[in-house]
Formats: sequence, C-alpha cells, structure tokens
Amino acid sequence: MGGYGDVQLLRDDGLRLDGRKLDESRPVTIQAGILPAADGSAMVTHGLNVAVAAVYGPMEAHPRKIQRQDRAVIDVRYNMAPFSTSDRIRPGFNRRSREISKVTAEALESVVLVERFPRSKIRVEIEILAAEAGTRCAGITAASVALADAGIPMRDMIVGVASGKIEDTVVLDLDKAEDNYGQADLPAGILPNTGEIAFLQMDGDLSPEEFDLAMEYNFKAAKEIHEIMVDALKARYEGGDN
Amino acid sequence: MVELVPNLLRQEMARLAEQDARIDGRGQFEGREISLETDCLYNAEGSAKVTMGKTVVYAGVKFEIRTPWPDRPSEGSLMCGAELRPVAHRKYEPGPPSPESIELGRVVDRGIRESGCIDMNSLCIIPGEKVWGVMIDIHVLSDGGNIFDACGLAAIAALRTAVVPAERFDVGDDYTLSVNGTPIMASFTRVGGRYVYDPCEEEELGGDERIHITIGDEGHLHSLQKGLRGVFTPQEFAEIFEVAQTKCAELRKIVAKKEAN
Amino acid sequence: MSQGRSGAEQRLVTPGMAIGSLSGMRVGSGAVTHNGEIIATKLGWVREFNGTISVDPISSPYLPRSGDLVIGTVAEVRNNLWFMNINGSFQGLLPMSLAPWKVEFGQARQHMNVGDSALARVQEVDECHNVVLTMKGVGLRRLSQGAVVEVPVNHLDRIRGANNANLDRMKDVSDCRIIVGENGRVWVDGDDMGIAWAREALEIAKEHGHKEGFDSMMKQHEKKLAKKGDA
Repeated sequence: MGGYGDVQLLRDDGLRLDGRKLDESRPVTIQAGILPAADGSAMVTHGLNVAVAAVYGPMEAHPRKIQRQDRAVIDVRYNMAPFSTSDRIRPGFNRRSREISKVTAEALESVVLVERFPRSKIRVEIEILAAEAGTRCAGITAASVALADAGIPMRDMIVGVASGKIEDTVVLDLDKAEDNYGQADLPAGILPNTGEIAFLQMDGDLSPEEFDLAMEYNFKAAKEIHEIMVDALKARYEGGDN
Repeated sequence: MVELVPNLLRQEMARLAEQDARIDGRGQFEGREISLETDCLYNAEGSAKVTMGKTVVYAGVKFEIRTPWPDRPSEGSLMCGAELRPVAHRKYEPGPPSPESIELGRVVDRGIRESGCIDMNSLCIIPGEKVWGVMIDIHVLSDGGNIFDACGLAAIAALRTAVVPAERFDVGDDYTLSVNGTPIMASFTRVGGRYVYDPCEEEELGGDERIHITIGDEGHLHSLQKGLRGVFTPQEFAEIFEVAQTKCAELRKIVAKKEAN
Repeated sequence: MSQGRSGAEQRLVTPGMAIGSLSGMRVGSGAVTHNGEIIATKLGWVREFNGTISVDPISSPYLPRSGDLVIGTVAEVRNNLWFMNINGSFQGLLPMSLAPWKVEFGQARQHMNVGDSALARVQEVDECHNVVLTMKGVGLRRLSQGAVVEVPVNHLDRIRGANNANLDRMKDVSDCRIIVGENGRVWVDGDDMGIAWAREALEIAKEHGHKEGFDSMMKQHEKKLAKKGDA
C-alpha cells in the first residue's frame, strides 16, 4: 500500500474513478466446467481479472512425505501467466505465488471434507490469465466452483472478496489504481452459508472501525458473488446443452 | 507421469484403422471443429484462444525494449515459449519446464520465425540502442489431443492482432504490429499403423510417432518435427504433406475470417 | 441414483446449502449436519426417501467398495502379484492367490502383463483405502478383446436404467456383450459397427445422462444403426 496522497481516487461527486459507489463490486461472471481434461473446472472474470481453476483427483499423494494418514492434502498451485500483467512475468514459481498457494490450500482444506480421503491429494491448479488487482480472490472463487464441479464433498464453498481504503474512505473491491495508490487492502475468503472466514490477509493501515466496515462490505459482496457461483453450477446441469 | 496404455486400446486402434474408421467417428484426415477468439485477454498486447475438441489453448503477446545484438544493430527479436503446466492434464506434473513443453514452444517458434512473417528490422526503434523484443507465450489449459496445432494457431492469431505498446514505453504512438503471412501447423500421428490428422486424446494415447508440418502462405515448408518413437517412409510423408497443404489453407482462412470481422 | 429425481422433488443444490432440518430426518450420502441443519456437501439433486435426506451427486470420483465389479488395467507386475489401475485414488492389488490361474512364483507376467485389462471384484478395502482385488468368481477374467469406454460413475444407473432396461436395449440393438464396471468403465465386445454404435450411445449417456430428453436421444440414436444396417 503506497498511500500516495496526491493521486485522486474519489471524484467530487463521491463516486470512484470508474463510477462505482463505495460499496459496489466490479462485475463478476462465472462459468463452470470449461476445461474438458480436468475432473472439475471454472473460469471467473472479476472486473478485468480472468482466473481459471482446474481440479484433479483425489489421487494417491506423491511424494510420500506429503501423505497424511488421516486425511487428504490439497495441493494448490496459483500461477500468473506470463502475459497476465502489463510487464511480462518470467514463468516459474516466485515467493508471492508460493505464499498465495499455501494460504489458499489451507483455506480450501477448511471446507473440503478431507478426512474422507486419507493418503490422497486433490490437485487444484489456479491460472491467472489477466490481472487487474484481486487475482487471489478470483482464484479462490474459481477453485471453489471447480471443486464443486469435480464432485469433491465440501461443507461450504468459499467466496474470495476484498475491501480496502482509499483517501481515508473504506471501499469494496479495489481496482488496479486503487490498489496501487490506496491505503489498505483486506482480502477475505468467506463461507457464504455459515458466515465463517477461511482466508484473511491485510496490508496497509486500518482503524478498528474501518476494519469492521470493510468486513461488512466483504460479507455483502460474498453474498452477491455466491449467487453467481450457484447459478454457474446450476447452469451447467439445468436445461441448456452445457 | 508416464501414462498407462491399455493393450485393448491399441488393439482397437488397429482394428479401426483396418476399417478406415476412427474412434470418434471422423475420417482419416478430418479435423475437429475449431473455435478461434482473438483479443480476449486484457494486459496482453495481442491474444487468442483456440478450442479444438477437448483442447483449450491461450496465447498472449508481450513487448519489451532491449538493446540489439552488436552484430545486428537494427534487428529486434521474436521469442515463442509454451508452458505445459499441470492445469492442462492429469499427466503433467509440477516442476521445471519438461522436455515436452520446450519442444512444443520451439516447434511453434521455428514455424513463425522461419516463415519470415515478422521483419526483424521493423522492430528497430533506435539502431544500436533500442529495439523491440516480441514474446509470444502459449498457455495450454486443457490437453485433449493435438496441442501442437492448437498452439501454432493461437500463437500466429495472437501475433497478428498485436498492438505495439509504444506509448507505454514513451517511444511514440501505439501501432499495429506488421505481420506478413500466416504460417500454420498441421500435425499427424500414427494410429493403428496409419497416419491420421488432428489426433484426439485417445488416439495419442494408443498411437505412435507424430509429425508436425508448418506451411506458409506460399505453400512452402517452414518447420518440420518428427516426435516420439517410430519411423515412417518417404511415401507416407508425401501423402500427409499433400493433406497438410489443404488443411493449412483451411485454417489460414479461419484466421483471415476472424480478422475480417 | 439419478433415477430418484423423476419423483416430485427436483431440487438442484450446491455445497453448503441447507436442505432440511434434523428433526425427524436422517442424514444420507452427500450431506452433513451443522447446527441442527442438514447441509449439502455436493452439487446434485436432493432426494428424500424413507425419512433419509441425501444428495445424488452430479459428478463424483470413484470410491471402491468391497464387492464392486470393476474393470482394471495392469500397471505393474511383481513376482507374485499385480497392481491394477481401477480408476480410483489408489491402485488395486491382486495377489497371486486370488488369481484365476495356478501361478508359479515369478510367472505372474505370463498370465497378465502391463497394459492388459481384466474383470475383477473388489475383495476388501481397508480403512487406509488399500484395495485388494480378486479374480476368483464366475465370469472374472482377463479381457482379451473388445473395447473399454470410460463414463462418469454417477451416470452408471442412468446407463443401466430401471431393471437394466437401458443396458438391455443397448445390448440388443448393438448385438454386443456389454459389462458395466462400478468404477466407471464399460466393456463392449461385438462387431465393429456394434462397438462404434455402443460407444456413441455411452457418449450420449455421459453428456446427457443427467438431463431430461435422454431417452428420446437414445431412440434417435437407435434409428441410426437401423439405417446403417439397411444400407
């Protein structure tokens, strides 16, 4: 979070630069089952972000040292395609993607009934094809839909959402400029049916009151995006040819 | 991971070939339906998505400014790379780029480079100081067979829609990259003893060696690659080369049609 | 499984959705309890039957159960046992003592080699999901001809139909022998035209088995073979 005071992110009419209200999310679209080779898959577009997730398994956990005798492990790889950002990214794992993969895996292990599959692993591959702030959240949403599409049992899905602070004002769903010049970013993974939180990160500067408001926005967004997730899964099987 | 090849599948492939039939009902040189989308990725300066049966591939073009090689002060550069990440199939494992993904990237790279469709001198900004480096990255999302042709098509379609981001690098106004030609790849795999065009997943699993042919607008060869264990005769090559000419011309029309819209 | 949704209730649910209260209801497969409510754990159709509420999943991995008839492919051979891929998380182990032949130690490969397919039964699944297979039993054997087609395990009931009606119809029309393995593999053996027709019929079941109109699509497909036969 840069917190550059000289960049204007709120217009004089109180709306944001792209015309959104403070508690308004960027448009979200979701499609389930888009990758025929995978056991389950999904594509999420969130603003200009494009995240794709594929699920394989459960399968025997390899190498042996990652095997758990009492449950499955979820093996997540979050990866940004070389052309996903304005400056090309060199292919390969970096520290950022390793961290996001780790916390995403732990979030998903909190909802998947992993104890049903001892000594197994479930592979979740998240590929970011276009990035415009908020890729980890789009990735978590895509992974949840892909897991449901693969028939992996879960006690709830996870919706990836984020709020933040720009010009001392709490707003929902930071876009790229707001992320670059804003004061705080609070991404969360919310279980829409139970209201629990499986994923949480934050950086920047938030007062306790600002945190509460930001989480309130996050819960509101989770509810909206969850409906789109459900519609995407149903669309695949109710009527239509897909 | 080496995939297990069921003997029943190989037997069936041989039986089907005797009947001049294919497992998915296609003719020997009949391709699957192709869908091509271009300009589909924000942040890429050129992009394309190709779907062929169960195969889904994306390609994105990025530019960077670099110093030219001392012996070629006015030439830019072109590089094409492919990634076969574990997202694409159960059989792909995480880790450093596999020989398979390096081969894939290099075969597509040669076809585009050697066709001469990009004039390296047109990528010069200031001779001896600044030239454009063009990078095509191919991302396979679902491997349902014949990823080579899908990657070749996605790469050239993305390149042909690319816009040079000169403004972002402060070297003038953005302009459309000039691409003089549409090199196209056609791939054949030996299945049940004979070559078929555009193999599907099961045909690759139960088949043998493959041949990739890239042909330019004038019908000239620009890259060839024989892969996997097996041998072929000159007569067999002559037959598939002729088929490849027709197939490449058809695919070139798909690219042109997309651009006309 | 999917037969159940021809009843009055046809509710499609997603994981995490509340599908009923615990009072007086038992929890079936595809569901768990949370705070006194029954929660769906899978994408699928809700089914209430005999006081049990469950979810018939739309897609599901194969989980071996003892007694399952499966079609396996040999992945590895040792002196006295075979490891078979059975489309599950783990390979199944077929010991020499449960093979249908008298096997000398070290001669296992001569009876069945890597890549060979066989009809076997799941003898035992232990709590660590280790699977032991047997080929002792009527009809269990190495499959030396025909084709194996993979289909989603949750569509097997639709492929079979009530009292195996769909399956019998497919056998009749194609004039093929068809054996359905619980692990989502179907063995088809007959003449080339019959196998090709059955493969397409199974493909229709795979793509549309969960949708309305599947039966009429099958009827349409039957006409195709009749036409080919006349020509």
